[in-house]
Amino acid sequence: MPRFRNKTPGDRTGAVAAQGCDRLLGRPCRAWRNPFRGRDPDYRVIPADTRPEELLISHISINFDRTGFQEDWNVVFPLDRLRELAAEGTIGSVGQTHYSFMGATDPVQMESHARELAGRLKSDQVDAVILPPV
Amino acid sequence: MSALGHYLEEEGIATVAISLIRPQTEKTKPPRALWVPFELGRPFGPPSDPAFQKRVILAALQVLEREKGPVLIEDFPDDDPRGRPDPAWHPPFIPAGVAAGSDGSLAARLVAEIVLLRDAHQRWVAQHGRTTVGLSGLPISECARYVADWLRGTAPASPREGFSAPLMLRFAVDDVKAYCLEAAAAEIAKPSSRQLGDWFWNETAAGATIHALREACLSSEDERLKLIAGNFMVPAARVRGSG
Repeated sequence: MPRFRNKTPGDRTGAVAAQGCDRLLGRPCRAWRNPFRGRDPDYRVIPADTRPEELLISHISINFDRTGFQEDWNVVFPLDRLRELAAEGTIGSVGQTHYSFMGATDPVQMESHARELAGRLKSDQVDAVILPPV
Repeated sequence: MSALGHYLEEEGIATVAISLIRPQTEKTKPPRALWVPFELGRPFGPPSDPAFQKRVILAALQVLEREKGPVLIEDFPDDDPRGRPDPAWHPPFIPAGVAAGSDGSLAARLVAEIVLLRDAHQRWVAQHGRTTVGLSGLPISECARYVADWLRGTAPASPREGFSAPLMLRFAVDDVKAYCLEAAAAEIAKPSSRQLGDWFWNETAAGATIHALREACLSSEDERLKLIAGNFMVPAARVRGSG
């Protein structure tokens, strides 16, 4: 049974675990990155200082719109909006690191990676996470 | 993402999932979820609409404050205003001989089309400060040539170490799509994803190339290539004969 936690605005630290995103390291082309190749069970790390031009979607599915993300990364990865909410005092702060899973993965294979991620989140003093799909 | 939510909650991290497909969420039962009536690929709603996106996030965060459970699905009340077509939008000009067929082979027309869209794509990059072309790591002209070579039946080797040829084909196809769709949206009008998709898949040499490549690869003896061609090149709703 999952644990439910009663939060009040003002003391919450938020992080995003987006789906199918990976960070492009360096520009222009021919830079090395670590895209999702198939139904990978592990995750990619997206530091909070990642810029919009560094984030791509390598999710294996093509059955979802990508034109929204092309125009505005907040459609999938709302880091700018979370920063604004933190600046307004609606949430306590934004996590220093965010993450991305493929999502369409065998849950059993994902478990060890998810529990490792929980440790990272706790180290970052994150107490709430938004899990958006694509 | 439901399994991820359960694992994190078991470790003491509160989670709220965004749901785009309510029946699937009802079946997979994440700890908490907010259902939103948006198209796949847009979990926080319309692009370039910070106020709307913020309302979605706040609605999701409010779900964290509910005490009942274990599974909670709440519904976001508003549709995506950018889901409607924009009648002011028109696609970039591509000569009919290139887009639809008399100027050489389909592979040659793809390469020519990529050149013709260059100015529009540069305007897109200037407007948005970024491009989502880059999955293959190849310049777009090389992407087009790589895809064209596959269509010509040469089955080219992978241009990147550590990436198989079929995987590079998938990434190059994704880059060609992203390039064309960004070029097509490089004006003031705000087309819906359906408008852009109708244009790309029905009216461009790039769309026709990917359709043809999919058909050609499905008869390959390479099972991995068949898998990629069958599932990861043309969206299911755009496969010819899918209705």
